[in-house]
Amino acid sequence: MRVATLSSFDASVAQLQRRQQDLSTAQERLTSGKRVLRASDDPAAAGTAERALAAESRAVSRQRALEASRNAMLLAEDALGEAGELMQQVREQIVAAGNGSYTDAERQLAAASLRSLRDDLLAVANRQDGSGRFIFGGQGSGGLPLVDAPGGVIYAATAGQMQAATGEATALSVDGRAAFLQAPDPANPGASISLFDVIDQVATALETPNQTAAQIATAVSTGIGQVDIVADNLSSWRAETGHALNRIDAVEDRLAQSKLDAQRERSGAEDLDMLSAISDFQNQQTGYDAALKTYSIVQRMSLFDYVK
Amino acid sequence: MSGSTLMMLGIKAMAANYAALQTTGHNIANANVEGYSRQRAELSTAAGQYTGAGFFGKGVDVTTVTRAHDQFLTREASSARSLASMDATRLALLQRMENIFQPGVNGLGHAATQLMDAMSDLSSHPADPATRRVVLARATDLAARFSEAGSALDLTQANATADLRVMVTEVNALARSIAQTNQKIAEVVGRGQPANDLLDERDRLISQLSDKVQVTRMDASDGTTAVFMAGGQRLVLGSTATELSVVQDATDPRRAAVALREGPLTRVLSETEMGGGGITGLLRFQNQDLVAGRNLIGQLAAAIGGAVNTQQMRGVNLQPPLGSVPSSALFGIGAPEALANTANARDGAGNLMASIQLTVTDPAALQASDYDLREDPAVPGTWRLTRLSDGWATTVADGDVVDGVQIDFVGAPQAGDKFLLQPVARAANTMSVLLGNPLDLAAASPLVASTSPANVGTASVASLTITAGPLPVPGATVQVTFTSDAGDYSWQMLDAANNVLASGNDSWVAGQAIPPAGTDINGFSLMLHGVPRNGDVVTIAPTPASALSSNNGNALALTALRDAAIAGGHTATDQWALALSDVGVRVQSGATASEISTAVSRQAELLRSADAGVNLDEEAARLIQFQQSYQAAAKVLQVAQSIFDSLLSTAAR
Repeated sequence: MRVATLSSFDASVAQLQRRQQDLSTAQERLTSGKRVLRASDDPAAAGTAERALAAESRAVSRQRALEASRNAMLLAEDALGEAGELMQQVREQIVAAGNGSYTDAERQLAAASLRSLRDDLLAVANRQDGSGRFIFGGQGSGGLPLVDAPGGVIYAATAGQMQAATGEATALSVDGRAAFLQAPDPANPGASISLFDVIDQVATALETPNQTAAQIATAVSTGIGQVDIVADNLSSWRAETGHALNRIDAVEDRLAQSKLDAQRERSGAEDLDMLSAISDFQNQQTGYDAALKTYSIVQRMSLFDYVK
Repeated sequence: MSGSTLMMLGIKAMAANYAALQTTGHNIANANVEGYSRQRAELSTAAGQYTGAGFFGKGVDVTTVTRAHDQFLTREASSARSLASMDATRLALLQRMENIFQPGVNGLGHAATQLMDAMSDLSSHPADPATRRVVLARATDLAARFSEAGSALDLTQANATADLRVMVTEVNALARSIAQTNQKIAEVVGRGQPANDLLDERDRLISQLSDKVQVTRMDASDGTTAVFMAGGQRLVLGSTATELSVVQDATDPRRAAVALREGPLTRVLSETEMGGGGITGLLRFQNQDLVAGRNLIGQLAAAIGGAVNTQQMRGVNLQPPLGSVPSSALFGIGAPEALANTANARDGAGNLMASIQLTVTDPAALQASDYDLREDPAVPGTWRLTRLSDGWATTVADGDVVDGVQIDFVGAPQAGDKFLLQPVARAANTMSVLLGNPLDLAAASPLVASTSPANVGTASVASLTITAGPLPVPGATVQVTFTSDAGDYSWQMLDAANNVLASGNDSWVAGQAIPPAGTDINGFSLMLHGVPRNGDVVTIAPTPASALSSNNGNALALTALRDAAIAGGHTATDQWALALSDVGVRVQSGATASEISTAVSRQAELLRSADAGVNLDEEAARLIQFQQSYQAAAKVLQVAQSIFDSLLSTAAR
């Protein structure tokens, strides 16, 4: 077959251009470290990488939500622990006030210290986290969740627990009503006892002058029994937050794992295998070099060189 | 026989070889001219002169100059070039469109993910103004990315239309040049010799024309060539050329179409009528790829925007007075459009007799497609809706809902009317954020569910989902009281003064919602953990105004949208990944098609030029060959002269 000079030049130039283009694509991939720079490089891998990116991003945002939950549960555990200690002091105070040798004045002093412990407990129940959220605010509260009202302490927030967006059951708050105001009464199913009412009642009984020893003994023993019930309720809520913290640790592991999986999946889908890429690049380099050499040799040959 | 005979012989041989040398020189001179056909001086032996001693040769004659030309190979190269040019044009445009579908952190998908992440942060800190502002910023970013993508697609369309105008102008100029060349050829063809260079010129023009649009040619006996488009429309006949023009598409005025001027009329040409060439590639991109790209982006915009808006309107914002300002939509989304064909029936005043009104009823059901609506030819009087992305068709009547869109007829459509329905094509273009105040974000739920402290069962609230915004009976409290250990319950809806507004009974099964799917009490769906016992009570009450600022119920629901099937049966992320793959596959297959057709075209051109092109080595050899012949002929002349000189010197004595 004849070869037209023009088309043989054109074909060689086109071939050189193609090799140069391949070389520049390979270089672009090597410098970016990515195999998939555009969707058309590998449509299926681009889709996978996109899903993995979203999964990674979701895991990170869930980790942030989880930290908020952890923070809330740590503070709640601290607060419930503190409340437990205060209840211990309340109990000791009541036991002491039951001493038959106490005068009215001594009982009044005991009542006063009970009331001060009660105020400490109320402050603990209304504690906030760093961002102004009430730890015992339930499903939302505008101001203090537990407030003094004429009939005793009432729950001004919405009962229940707020959840964090971690994809699992992780709480952002503790139900202050259940923890402080509604300890289930074992003797009376369906009924409940308020921590503050118990202290109020004992304090009021101790403040009342001229009582018989029997009256005081009854008030004290009833009070101690009820204090034990509400203290148990506090420690069961404390255990609950401890469980929640354990669960948060487990969720954190799962989130870290799914973040890692997502990163690995994304990298597998779109990242370049450097070893084979470098070897491909060298292949292409050799090819381009050979093409240039043959071009310069073949195209230099002409019969005109020999016609003298 | 005389001495002058030998001289004549030498002169003729010299002339013939000189002509051959001249032709070779012409070949060498034109070696790099594209489309030039190698020429050749055709020599023939002059008829001999009869004498008593037999025939004596009278040398050589130049009969004509021919060009190496194979009609089949030329035609083949032209049509291969047409297809290559079509594929290359489409690929270039597709690659431009692919830039709008960026993968990774620069893409639309990631912007949507970031909005959802911000919603998650909002659910952790519902009262924090900074977090609320971040949500608005992310939403603004997402809307801007969508509207930028819409504008970029508009720009691609505008560029395509401009390119089309340029190409059509070139086609018209080429057709005119072919007609003029036809005329010149016809003028010289009468002289009996082929006008090689003019023929080359015409072949070259036709080949350039093939770049733009596929043509077939038919040679006439007068030397002219008629050029037809692939669909048989006449482009050039003799010395007259027909004009093409760019017009608005009859179904979608934003698109361009190519029309042929036939006398006083213009007729719009379809893609198939043009067969190949850059114009066809461009129209194919415009009518298929760009439409698909637009709908993919639009579907996502309408679906994400619609889902976020619906959920936002179900929640409670923090605008004062708390709890009494209705929440409004976060995103503004481009409205669906129904375009009437320009040929649709009009009344006396020139107004359309009928139009179509589209309303999105379910953003999650929207499909990434345009729809064609026209009378069903099989059943006159009924209207057939065809989904253009996959050809699925159904019969619709006024008010029907298809793929999340309600179709209303305004006026009575006439027989022969056609409409192009675009539910999502323009959704991204005008996407915007409508809320400016962080307090407008509805992070709080309008209802909260709580179990009674007196409950004896283990049931607790797993989730409370709001299914209507605003609630059917705002401010009402619903009390669910279990009436057996088997999950039977009765419910009462109470107003603020504890009057019973409604009541009913149902049964709860573990893992199912209260009320059961498909029924409604007051726009909520409650899920329980654990097991309720007889007498247990769950109360679903309005969230108190004081609790709204720290409640995160609706922020959680907004966050949950990232895992919900909100876009055509997929999550937004999956739908975006699908869109990305769809465009990727289009570019990839476009590149493969272009690679193949370019290789075919190169091969065809190689074959054509192998026959018709100039090989310089060959010409060098011919140069030596004819030079030697010329020198030999000169020698003959010298001999003839020296014979004559001998004769003269003999006679001079």
